[in-house]
Amino acid sequence: MNEELDSQLSAMFDDELPSVECELLARRLSRDEQLKARWGRYAVMGAVLRSERGVRLNAPLARRVSAVLLAEPALAAPAPASARNAGVRWWQPLAATGLAAGVAAASVLWLRAQAPLQGSAAMSAQLPVAPRAVAALNKASLPELRSKALQVAAPVIVPPIELANYVVAHSMFSAPVAGHSLLSTFMSEGGAPVEAPVADVTRSAQ
Amino acid sequence: MSADVSDLSLVRRVQRGDKGAFDALVLKYQHKLVKLVMRYVRNPAEAEDIAQEAFIKAYRALPQFRGDSAFYTWLYRIAINTAKNAVVSRDRSPIEYDLDRNSDESHDMQGRMKDSETPEGLVLTDEIRSTVNAAIDALPEDLRTAIVLRELEGLSYEEIAAAMDCPVGTVRSRIFRAREAIDRRLREVFEGGLGRAEELG
Repeated sequence: MNEELDSQLSAMFDDELPSVECELLARRLSRDEQLKARWGRYAVMGAVLRSERGVRLNAPLARRVSAVLLAEPALAAPAPASARNAGVRWWQPLAATGLAAGVAAASVLWLRAQAPLQGSAAMSAQLPVAPRAVAALNKASLPELRSKALQVAAPVIVPPIELANYVVAHSMFSAPVAGHSLLSTFMSEGGAPVEAPVADVTRSAQ
Repeated sequence: MSADVSDLSLVRRVQRGDKGAFDALVLKYQHKLVKLVMRYVRNPAEAEDIAQEAFIKAYRALPQFRGDSAFYTWLYRIAINTAKNAVVSRDRSPIEYDLDRNSDESHDMQGRMKDSETPEGLVLTDEIRSTVNAAIDALPEDLRTAIVLRELEGLSYEEIAAAMDCPVGTVRSRIFRAREAIDRRLREVFEGGLGRAEELG
């Protein structure tokens, strides 16, 4: 056996080995039966030197304990503080995103309430798909579909500057990538009004 | 050197699911624990049963062990409680006595304890004891002093270095060489003559 390793084992037995080396040797000790047997004999030497009389030096206690523990599940230590924090952290972006989405929806509704007439006028003027879809509809069902459309995907015209300001103001609650893409969208659209999807309306009408 | 580093490194491994590391802790402390429990119960076989129970309780409680105290201190408390509970449940009075070899009462108690052991076990224990003692007697003076100061007096390497007026590295080397010399003979007992190597652990 490696003399340096045995010397380390002796120092570890006396709690005189640096902690880094201890970590490595503990790993080896837990797997190497020869090393474990030597470790056990070191303990026997100590017991004899201390005159631990009445104690059976050949007692198969360790073997018995090991046999009982075979049936035990391996331990899973309570997660250290850092791991617990990591566990808490995973849902925080989701919660923040949900909160931001809720506030955004409320803001959109509030903006619509502020200028309902402007919104409907602009919608009829600016949605190129909507007229074709509306023309294909049965006129009798139009009011009903419109109310459904408002429930499912409210056609919204949101002033892009206000919405962009809102996103910037609430960026701390949303994932950075999502916030960045949303802002990029505003920038690329160059101030064009945001359109609400109407495809669902047309599909359900057909 | 911070105290309990080696035990703690083994404990952390057990806490991460490495049962093998717990074997090393049991091997290291089994004799101390049995000796401790024998203050409360009469015979070694019963003391071993209680020590076994204490080790298993300790294993199950290890996830809660944070390392605020030394592992042996924590294990010691578990063993004491287990022994007291065993005594109460078996309706026996605790026996407090010193197992010092010079005490007459202790010698008397030794006699009673030995009655409960098997002759084979006694032979092997005696052979182990005489082998270790003979090996220690045969050691060069500096090695013997170093190992005795460590095992019997419980001095740290630094304290031994101061006592022996030599560097700490020399102390480490002397203790290791002493153990190697003793181990060569001890291995023969466990692996050779009596063929009961597996009984060590």
